[in-house]
Amino acid sequence: MKRDRLTALIAVTALTIAACTTAAGDTTTTGGPGATGPVGGGGSVLAAVMDRGSINCGVNNAVPGFGFVDADGNHVGFDIDFCHALAAAVFGDPDAVEFIDLTAEQRFTALQSGEIDVLIRNTTWTSSRDGTLGATFLTTTFYDGQGMMVRSDSGFTSIDDMADTTICVLSGTTTELNLATRMTGIGYTPSTFDDNGQIQAAFLEGACDGWTSDKSQLAGVRSAWPEDDGGPEALTILDETFSKEPLGPAVRDGDAQWAQIVDWVVIATIQAEEFGITQDNVNGFADTENNDIRRFLGLEITDAEGNTSVFDAGLGLPADFAAEVVAAVGNYAEIYDRNVGPDTPLGLERGVNALWTNGGLHYPPPHR
Amino acid sequence: MSLETVRPTLPAAPGPSWARRNLFNTWYNGLLTTVLGGLLFAGIWLGARAVAGFDITILEVNLRLFMVGEFPRDQLWRPWLSGGFLAAAIGLAAGLIQAGSRERAARSGLPFTPTTPRDVVRRLAPVIGLVVVLLLLTRTITPTLLTVVVAIVGIVFNVSGRRLHSRWGWVGVGALVVAGYLSLAAFGGVGWEDWGGLHLNVFLTLAGLLFAFPVGILLALGRRSALPVIRALSVTFIEVVRGVPLIAVLLFGAFAIGFLLPEEVRPSQVTRMLIAITAFEAAYVAEVIRGGLQAVPHGQTEAAQSLGLPGRKTMALVVMPQALRASIPPMVGQFISLYKDTTLVAILGIGELLETSFVVNSQPDFLGKGLFVVTLAFAGLIFWVGSYTMSREARRLERRLGVGER
Repeated sequence: MKRDRLTALIAVTALTIAACTTAAGDTTTTGGPGATGPVGGGGSVLAAVMDRGSINCGVNNAVPGFGFVDADGNHVGFDIDFCHALAAAVFGDPDAVEFIDLTAEQRFTALQSGEIDVLIRNTTWTSSRDGTLGATFLTTTFYDGQGMMVRSDSGFTSIDDMADTTICVLSGTTTELNLATRMTGIGYTPSTFDDNGQIQAAFLEGACDGWTSDKSQLAGVRSAWPEDDGGPEALTILDETFSKEPLGPAVRDGDAQWAQIVDWVVIATIQAEEFGITQDNVNGFADTENNDIRRFLGLEITDAEGNTSVFDAGLGLPADFAAEVVAAVGNYAEIYDRNVGPDTPLGLERGVNALWTNGGLHYPPPHR
Repeated sequence: MSLETVRPTLPAAPGPSWARRNLFNTWYNGLLTTVLGGLLFAGIWLGARAVAGFDITILEVNLRLFMVGEFPRDQLWRPWLSGGFLAAAIGLAAGLIQAGSRERAARSGLPFTPTTPRDVVRRLAPVIGLVVVLLLLTRTITPTLLTVVVAIVGIVFNVSGRRLHSRWGWVGVGALVVAGYLSLAAFGGVGWEDWGGLHLNVFLTLAGLLFAFPVGILLALGRRSALPVIRALSVTFIEVVRGVPLIAVLLFGAFAIGFLLPEEVRPSQVTRMLIAITAFEAAYVAEVIRGGLQAVPHGQTEAAQSLGLPGRKTMALVVMPQALRASIPPMVGQFISLYKDTTLVAILGIGELLETSFVVNSQPDFLGKGLFVVTLAFAGLIFWVGSYTMSREARRLERRLGVGER
């Protein structure tokens, strides 16, 4: 009798453990290339989004300028504005978006499981993320890169000068690895910290000769440097960029239509800047004779025979989606200046994020 | 042969003071006390200076974010209304407990000392202090006035609860709690998936324990069941869940439920956390109650059986009430640790109090100012007040119920 009970207990335990391990196995393997099709009923993401009436946008809630929560509980930032732009394009309502705060660890799982429709969370486009995490990366919204900040009076003008120095860096980040790669052959001592606040304290005490991080972060730190330590002028960010960090939106693999929609919404903001269309003047183009702009804004076009038509690119979006986007969040320059530009606490110059016509990297494919 | 009465040794007459007996009884203890006391004082002093020396604007402008997270600002009357209902529920419950004690005392002829307002103030002193601190951070008079109204509502219901002694009183408490929830979520309100700040921590604690309690009782009974399958399932569940850190259960809830269920029926992140917390707490509550069940002498069961009570009634009327009474103090301990553990949902980016104290530092106005020390100290203070008050109440309850003495 007692033995029977023991057997039963062992059997039940074994079954439970088997069930648990299978479930755990599912979660890990779904992350592989197997997870291609859109999850969530197997339908298209656009159809699911239209049904729901809002877009689930995976964002960050703690990156200054790019995605944070203000005192009234609203999400604000550069990445956040692209979520609003997408909602404006799909629904004509920039507020038809649910923000889902994600940690770095969670973000790709949330994307694969269909919990979010799009991930706009300062995520670097890399080959392995494209290849093994089931994500499709789209037009880059922000070109970042790792840089080095030193004291202006230190005399360092390039990273090669910095032999036998102590360089402060966040622990456990790719930043640390990039630093090691860049400093190959140059003797240096890395000093690692858990957060930027600690590095700032160490830097103020003179414990670091250099501070390396993404340039956008360094610029933010520099612009807020305490006045009693000389203010921003006391620090210099060296020109060299020694890693590439293209940040942009990502969607799930397997739904080309949705990927194209997100892609062209981002492109529309850049194109609007190129055309000089802003949030204020977007409604003033009704009489323009520039057919490129008419097509872009979904205005009627009269061809050589006198027939009028409205250009529809066939993306699954309303013909005037670009006009809605610009009316909602403005063009790329406006989004940039409002959130991270020179007049904000981050104080980032456009640099490589300028239009191609100004020597930057943003080159929108034509809308026709 | 004469019977000798063995008396317990009574405590000696008051001798040297407590400090002299415990802190300075030997030279090395004296030295240790002096050094550690000095360090403690320096730590407190430095901490206070650090906090006071920093700008507390970050707390003032973000107070609502700390309290209710992203709750829509045009709906803030809902948390206040809900607070009123909850104050009424707590006041009424406390009043009913008083009425019950008075009645029991009258029946047994024992003296009854009612809880005076002075006792209440003393017992709630940390909470009152915290409320004052919070109100000092507000920038308008409205929150102060509303707090006074909520307090008055609680007092009025407490006074009426003391006069009332009927089962309907407890039905009223339940109704007030439900009304408190509905005033937040129903009629165009905001469901719990969008709650945040301290509000979310408190909700997860209360709801987690509320849901875990019945499950825990069933598991505890299941573990003592004569049916091998039920017993094996209960033991497996309890031991597997107790053998895993809460953070693993939370991650499993967040990721596995997301993958296993199709989108239409997939619960929100907060609901998943609540499910995970409920499962985790149920296992611990089950063990606490099992401890309580074991504390009930077997003679009680035998006595009930000799009266002809069937097994179910023996459990429901004789054993379980005594077991639950013995379980109350450890249950409060469990409650306190759950209250603090709710901060773990921050790892999933859910905006509860601790997460909020991090993210507010990303706002442009406070960027790079190193105000983490202020916001974390603030969140720590709030958690400490709650936990400390609860543990003091637990000790009082333990004394009153005489657990550990019989």
